[in-house]
Amino acid sequence: MLSNPLALIAEVTHRCPLHCVYCSNPLELAGTKEELSTDEWTSVFEQCGKLGMLHAHFTGGEPLARPDLAELISAARSAGLYTNLITSGLGLNEPRLEALVSAGLDHIQISFQDSREEAANWIAGAKAHAHKIALSRAIRGHKIAFTVNLVVHRQNLDHLEEMIAFIEQLNPERVEIAHTQYYGWALANRAALMPTHGQVEKAVAIVAEAEKRLAGRIRIDSVVPDYYAKYPKPCMGGWGRRLMLINPAGKVLPCHAAEVLPGLTFENVREKTLEWIWQESSSFGRFRGQDWMPEPCRSCDRRGEDFGGCRCQAFLLAGDALLTDPACSLAPSHGIVESAVRDANSGAAIARPAASSSFVQLQKQTGELWSYRTNPE
Amino acid sequence: MAPPSDTSQPRLAVGCRWGGSGENRVILFPEGKINLQGTGLQVLERCDGRRTFSEIISGLQKEFGTTDPAKIRSDIGVFLEQLQRKRIVDY
Repeated sequence: MLSNPLALIAEVTHRCPLHCVYCSNPLELAGTKEELSTDEWTSVFEQCGKLGMLHAHFTGGEPLARPDLAELISAARSAGLYTNLITSGLGLNEPRLEALVSAGLDHIQISFQDSREEAANWIAGAKAHAHKIALSRAIRGHKIAFTVNLVVHRQNLDHLEEMIAFIEQLNPERVEIAHTQYYGWALANRAALMPTHGQVEKAVAIVAEAEKRLAGRIRIDSVVPDYYAKYPKPCMGGWGRRLMLINPAGKVLPCHAAEVLPGLTFENVREKTLEWIWQESSSFGRFRGQDWMPEPCRSCDRRGEDFGGCRCQAFLLAGDALLTDPACSLAPSHGIVESAVRDANSGAAIARPAASSSFVQLQKQTGELWSYRTNPE
Repeated sequence: MAPPSDTSQPRLAVGCRWGGSGENRVILFPEGKINLQGTGLQVLERCDGRRTFSEIISGLQKEFGTTDPAKIRSDIGVFLEQLQRKRIVDY
């Protein structure tokens, strides 16, 4: 019996004023001209409401790059959805924040790249840090939930305690300590982002201590990165099981990376209803249930918990979406992940942030280290 | 963090609200939801920020009739404390 989806990830644009090196957007970004209109998104949210969906996550790129964001939030709210805004905060000032709250925004999540301004701007490829701090203070004047999403990786994990202390004084209700996942740009930049064993172990202890200390005041969510875990992540809560993503051009995907998979045809909201896509489309049905599973997943006690891990990661790392996710210690191709982990622990130095006068100069300085995210046409 | 005191006024935390409909009432919070039925539903419906914890307990003790009143108080206290840690309820 197929349940209806729980949440929509509304990737409303791929435009973004930042260039974060850990971005998991696809390398092939949707162009501005292809973006769904306000009316098209409104129709999408109405359909979501009828399907009994409960959450809309506004993301991108940078969702604030859409001038009609308040209308989109209002449409989602009117359709009965709880509205989450996942944002860098760039493009948001007090009047616009007020407008979004009036439109029915329930929850805002601001990303932070570091506690230190120079390092944060170096990772984002933009001078964004000071604005995020100012915005965090403004948010506390409104009755919406506030989460800080701290993206952690090799370049900043050595001062995790400092970053947590920094975030505490911004007073969010929730903090996500988000270990970078390797899709899109993050995969291309993996060598510069993968933490060491020591960093991961220390992070587990630091987060545990912070959880205790902040219990009742701030909720901390954190998961051990899958390359260092025994079992894979239950990606998206299972393919086509809980979540649906719509990209800026209206393509309906089971996750943000699925377009890399060969042999799948994804439907578009401009052509088909969400209900049909969820229930009938071959793309959504492809990895549902257990019939598609290879061994060892097919006989594994955990198959109903982690669904064999991530299809896209199986394809990206091992060349075949039908394989057990190589992050699983039981995967026949686990050696691929072990090799990446060995490289990350081979003693290569951790880079130092440097200020640059321009983005072009920054790209030149760090060309050996990583590639910054570009913008779509 | 401790369970609610008698004079505290439990309420949904900022940004958390009711959703769903009919038999499927839920509380919606950042990126999540909790399904509510039976006792849990009755407790949270009374957490309106006006009723005190002791008023909520005595109201429910009356409804549940002869069940052990001390256990009701303790169970509900633990339930609310768990939700407070998740930042879904405040008191």
